[in-house]
Amino acid sequence: MSEPIARRKIIMDYRIKASKCEMCGKVYFPPKSFCNLEGRVSKVVESDYFYSKGIFYSGCVIRKPTNKFNYLKSFISCIVSFDNGAVKVPGRITDYRLNNDDEIDITQYIGKGVIPRFRRIYDDGNFGLIYYSSFNFSFEDDYYPYQEYKVVKPSGKSDKPGIIGYGIYIPKFRIKGDENSRELGILERALPFADEDATTFAVEAGKRALIHSAINSQYIKKCYVGSESAPYVVKPSMATISQVLELGEKFDDGFFSGGVDAQFACKAATDLIIDAAALVNYPTFNGEYVMIIGSDNAQAAPNDPLDFSVGAGAAAFIIGKRDVIATIDYYISYTSDTPDFYRRDGCEYPKHGGRFTGEPAYFKHVCTVMKRALKDTNLSPRDINYVVLHSPNAKFPMAAALQVGFEKDQIEPGLIVKKVGNLYSGSSLAALGAVLDISKPGDKILMVSYGSGAGSDAYLFTVTKNIESKRERLIKVQDQIENPHREYVDYYTYREWKTKNHPL
Amino acid sequence: MDKRLYRTPYAAIVGAGRTKFGELWYVNPEKLLTEAGERALESVDHGLRRKDIEACFFGSFLNQVTNKLALMPGYMSRELGINIPMTSIEAACASGGSALYNACISIKSGEYNVVLVGGIEKMTDRVNKIIDDMMFACDSHEFDAGFTFAGLYAAIMARYIYEYGRGNDKCKEALAQIACKNHHHAVNNPYAQYRFEITVDKVLNSPLIADPIRLLHSSPITDGAVAVILVKPELAKKYTDTPIYIVASSQATDDISLYSRASMTKMFATQMAVEKALKESKLSIKDIKIAEVHDCFTIEELLFLEDSGFVEKGKAWQVVYESYNSFNKSKHIPYVNNGCEMIVNLGGGLKADGHPIGATGVRQVYECFKQLRGEAGGNQVDIDGDLNASLCHNIGGTGGIANVHILVRDL
Repeated sequence: MSEPIARRKIIMDYRIKASKCEMCGKVYFPPKSFCNLEGRVSKVVESDYFYSKGIFYSGCVIRKPTNKFNYLKSFISCIVSFDNGAVKVPGRITDYRLNNDDEIDITQYIGKGVIPRFRRIYDDGNFGLIYYSSFNFSFEDDYYPYQEYKVVKPSGKSDKPGIIGYGIYIPKFRIKGDENSRELGILERALPFADEDATTFAVEAGKRALIHSAINSQYIKKCYVGSESAPYVVKPSMATISQVLELGEKFDDGFFSGGVDAQFACKAATDLIIDAAALVNYPTFNGEYVMIIGSDNAQAAPNDPLDFSVGAGAAAFIIGKRDVIATIDYYISYTSDTPDFYRRDGCEYPKHGGRFTGEPAYFKHVCTVMKRALKDTNLSPRDINYVVLHSPNAKFPMAAALQVGFEKDQIEPGLIVKKVGNLYSGSSLAALGAVLDISKPGDKILMVSYGSGAGSDAYLFTVTKNIESKRERLIKVQDQIENPHREYVDYYTYREWKTKNHPL
Repeated sequence: MDKRLYRTPYAAIVGAGRTKFGELWYVNPEKLLTEAGERALESVDHGLRRKDIEACFFGSFLNQVTNKLALMPGYMSRELGINIPMTSIEAACASGGSALYNACISIKSGEYNVVLVGGIEKMTDRVNKIIDDMMFACDSHEFDAGFTFAGLYAAIMARYIYEYGRGNDKCKEALAQIACKNHHHAVNNPYAQYRFEITVDKVLNSPLIADPIRLLHSSPITDGAVAVILVKPELAKKYTDTPIYIVASSQATDDISLYSRASMTKMFATQMAVEKALKESKLSIKDIKIAEVHDCFTIEELLFLEDSGFVEKGKAWQVVYESYNSFNKSKHIPYVNNGCEMIVNLGGGLKADGHPIGATGVRQVYECFKQLRGEAGGNQVDIDGDLNASLCHNIGGTGGIANVHILVRDL
């Protein structure tokens, strides 16, 4: 394919864009400029099905795919109808694994609800473009429940900026911890399906954050994405996310919004929360909100010690001043050039300094900001309800927090690393999400991130009463961890799905 | 049957030739087409020379991809040594039928008296890339959804089973019987790719390629070429005493995308083209005794029986099931519905004769030409009463285009 074709596909395929006749209501996909029935006297308007639920109309199990889809082996392709059959589109069922060679009775799926997912479709080899679309669907009664996106008019504005809403995305597939993982306190880990990467995670988390906060995406004028496994070295995943989630005011086929992909190992996203808070206070920033996403398909070389701890997932937070669910009360950052973990350009996997990543790196930075935060805020560990830390494993955060004077029960709720693995850029943010899921108005949460290289950020949040009314729109972290539809894979599948660049 | 036709035929066929269908590793596409053309010329009873041909229409789908070959007219000018107008027509699997349709119009318009129509495809030169290439005949969104060509027909088949045959194993059996019937018909066809019998059991245990479609529900990857010679009806007897007349030539189109259709269990293009062809020829579907039908996958033959009006909607699988079980010992297995008989795919259809895409639409006419003239040799159909009318049904993609031609021996 080519770059211009890719651009045209992006406009239509990222959100399932169709057109609808204003006179007779007939819907066309692909969109067209006039209605076949009413002719050119009628106006056609754009409609999209990104947040809609479709119905499985028919399909089949592809066992001998085209070369572009060989990486998926066998899968279900389908025809999906929307709007009570007003329009049909082709799609693929994702997060679906064929377990045997027996014929599958495809008619059993006809009539089932399906939900669009933004996923990879294929790429032009390891050096070419990656193509994404939302023509990938998961069954409504599978891992992901359907959520409606409904904008609610904000009721109030606070002086302090804070979190408006959030979305945590943990993929469906897991690998059980072996003895190496269990030694690190990790019982199971999340991994991407074959068509997922850090960008698709980010979109899913961002979508959930929008649904949770119930704000109009056009008021988000900045998006920061922190990742160390972005699919492109050069080409912003922020632009993809912004195009899919329609962040900012629409103009032509683009959007008045900005943002960047940031890199600071695992703390690229958390470092920018304070910048987001500053921005929403800045008089000439013409937006209301900033979206921050930490997303990683955490990478590790095969059989490296990291290969027994890495997970996959993303966390998205929306920062603003309207209907804040947790105010940002304090921030501090601490940085030193400590070469504990790094990856050179062109190198597929990161390298690290083994035991050097512990005491002089993680513990030094994390404990320094925790102690300083307590000192500056005149709080003792007892005054804080929850402490959430970057979690490369379950042992480090527990040891660091205990060292500073926190108790186990303040740390435990944020230790989701035990069940999802190290989410790299999403680690401390997803842990923050898990704690917000259960916190009450007035609770104080100390979040401490860590990024190799090295640095730590500490933020103190105070939960507000708004958290209760927004909770019904959440997909809670614990529900994802315990989701009965999660599926386990073996080490071979885990490596195959995690590695996105395949031999040419 | 009232044999009086109220319209002048479009054209008369006076000669036809074809190559063997199969894996033809040692021939280039233009040579293959030339071979079919030479045989068509040689088959004209009273003789017809190259210089008598006034125009050519060629149908092919993928030559540019499979063989990096475009401008077929230039190649054929070189091969045939003539410099007449030539046109290449691409309409996916309906390329051959579309070439024939345009040739009929050209004769009917009065512009030409003698036209050669050729169909060609060389699929095996692409080896394992042909599954991807076939998707050029589909909407790009269908490709991006992971569909293969077989997959799209499998979605049709699944929907058909859901709407009309759910929970009934006989429906699945009927879809297998169509393949068995067509293999049975190909045994005596010396040009067919697969000249062997298969059983229902074998079909239903063959490898799954796109559930519910199995390998033996599907037409194969084939190389081959076919050519026919069309002349102005008034001149037909100059070339042969037994011309076959094309009394209807119709074409209809529909949305390229399967997913956009109001119904996935009928081909609207087929329905329209058949209706128009029957109207043109003043015939009823009951008058059609033999038909060459586009059975790229067995479900498509089933749909034709309904779309053509031979069987009411949703009942074709029952007719197939009953007919196959009643007549599977016959030389040709007819479909019988309410006392009407139609034998479908006498040479084995796309399933067993083979499906060199651009050649198929012309091959169907070749088969009817031979059968109507009583020249089908060991495969000659034996029908009680008078055999006069036959129908050729050639569709492209998943129903984005359909060509229907009705051929008669006696006007």
